[in-house]
Amino acid sequence: MGQPISSSPATAGRIALSLRDVVKTYVMGADEVHALRGVSLDVATNEYVAIMGASGSGKSTLMNVIGCLDVPTSGTYSLEGQPVAGMSEYQLAEIRNQRIGFVFQTFNLIPRSNVFHNVELPLIYAGVPRAQRRPRVEDAIARVGLTNRMRHKPNELSGGQRQRVAIARALVGQPSIILADEPTGNLDSKTGDEIMAVLDELHQAGQTILLVTHETYIARHALRIVRLRDGMIESDDAVPAGSLAGQ
Amino acid sequence: MKARLDLEESFRIALGSLRANKARGTLTTLGIIIGIVAVILTMTAAHGLQNTFRQSFSAVGADVIYVSRMPWVVMNDFFLYRNRPGLELRQADLLASKLRGRAIVNPSIGGQRDLKYRSATMEGVTIIGTTERQTLVSTAQPELGRFITDYDVTRRKNVCVIGTDVRDGLFGDAAAVNQELKIGRTTFRVIGVMEKQGGAFLGGPNFDRQVFVPITSYVKAFGGDRRQQNVDVAVKAPSHEAVAALEFEVIGEMRKIRQLRPAEADNFSINKLDTLVGAFDNIMGVVLLVGLLITGISLFVGGVGVMNIMFVSVTERTREIGIRKAIGAKPHSILFQFLFEAAAICLMGGLIGVVVASVLTAVVNATVMPASVSIPILLIAVLVAIGVGVAAGFLPAWRGARLNPIDALRYE
Repeated sequence: MGQPISSSPATAGRIALSLRDVVKTYVMGADEVHALRGVSLDVATNEYVAIMGASGSGKSTLMNVIGCLDVPTSGTYSLEGQPVAGMSEYQLAEIRNQRIGFVFQTFNLIPRSNVFHNVELPLIYAGVPRAQRRPRVEDAIARVGLTNRMRHKPNELSGGQRQRVAIARALVGQPSIILADEPTGNLDSKTGDEIMAVLDELHQAGQTILLVTHETYIARHALRIVRLRDGMIESDDAVPAGSLAGQ
Repeated sequence: MKARLDLEESFRIALGSLRANKARGTLTTLGIIIGIVAVILTMTAAHGLQNTFRQSFSAVGADVIYVSRMPWVVMNDFFLYRNRPGLELRQADLLASKLRGRAIVNPSIGGQRDLKYRSATMEGVTIIGTTERQTLVSTAQPELGRFITDYDVTRRKNVCVIGTDVRDGLFGDAAAVNQELKIGRTTFRVIGVMEKQGGAFLGGPNFDRQVFVPITSYVKAFGGDRRQQNVDVAVKAPSHEAVAALEFEVIGEMRKIRQLRPAEADNFSINKLDTLVGAFDNIMGVVLLVGLLITGISLFVGGVGVMNIMFVSVTERTREIGIRKAIGAKPHSILFQFLFEAAAICLMGGLIGVVVASVLTAVVNATVMPASVSIPILLIAVLVAIGVGVAAGFLPAWRGARLNPIDALRYE
């Protein structure tokens, strides 16, 4: 196992990320849990990939590895050609800050801060001076259509609006990839569709997006679907063009 | 640059958190407030005692050395001095003639006697036999009438100059000058009243409860055997810088007068205000240390309270820490966020403590005894408060900074 599975035909751009034989094993008490058993995956820039799998299939672990929240037990992972193995916690924080944009199922906004400050946060941690932060934050908020909610606190917003704030926060740092983990999981289907439309738009503007979901109709927004099972890649297919129209 | 921005964010979060948890923060500061008030009051008390002490001995003069039989401060080495011969008036006069022109030398001799004026009496008043040079070696001057003169001394006049407490005790509001009072069994005429010295220090000498008489009259009235005389000799240097050289010279002259062989130890003592102040400062140092140790315990308890609340704060915000780490916060950003919060809580406690202590001191000042807080003490107190905050906040902050982002994000 662990043979590299060929990328979809859409792979035309540069390599955004590349996993080779990635194994992740957790030790829980006396037991070893093999969350990933040799995953190899290449994603090119401007790809739109959905990662699917049942719970326990290892997709959360894969997300954590790709998001540099966790490091593989063995195998290599490189982001834009830069291997992540052996990086310190400090360097990983920097990579997350500058290369990865997270969108979580539960939004994960800072509750006491307003929309502007939430979106500004990655730039503060990146050390961007105040004068340069403001236009970038305003631009990101405008892209998700929340310009008139800039000074609101998260608890004054609807679920869909909160997820838009999270997306704005993910893209404000101009990351290499946006990692969206069940972005519609906490939303009703209509709001979910709106959020997916925002992501689709970002993809069309050239953003690389990795989407983790267990719902097929959400996954079909992507152009390529990777299915995980028991810590291994089960299938890796391009989504037939027009499948979304068929919904 | 980067670090500065990080700190700015950490500071902002800390303030926001304090604003969000006002009641909790205020309760937590209570321990710090009590600790800081205790520290300030201890230091203020020690400072006040020191000032009172210096003030009460200010009449002694820093450029004067005293030759006496015994050192002023005798600890547990009394047996060393017990058999020393007393200083005779004759020897004091010899020393004066040796030092003539280079220093002012004034012998004095003292004892306790009862005073009587008509029906009023005072028991155990300090009677000091001295010369006209007394007002040159000490800062105390007569307020009414005149001091003893050369003529009074050479003619053994039975005249006296009294302190304000003696005046009040014997004469009340009536005029004292030219009245005659009895010291022991001898009649003396009052020729002057000294100005008030004030600040009798914790059972130390009260310079206002003294009577000056010519030293010759003292010897005539109370002196007895020459060998039992015990005179103190004040030697005033022309300047403060000359004190050290003068002391050396005085020791040499005194050894000659006493006919000591080179191997023999001095059988007299040189006393200075510095020695007294030094001994007192040593004692105050110990008192202050013990006081601060005890108040330190209350501050420690306050610090533990802050540490406790910081652990709660870190646990409560585990998820927030996870979010911040996911979007790129480095461990030190998280560490500083919580250190600032702990320091801010303690700073608040410190500032409130400063206000409370100032009010308490003002009350004490108005009712019990003169007391005032000094700016350096308040500054130290505030710095101590911040220090306690940083110390108490470090462990919780460190725990927050070390959190694994995945676990933290999953925390409910």
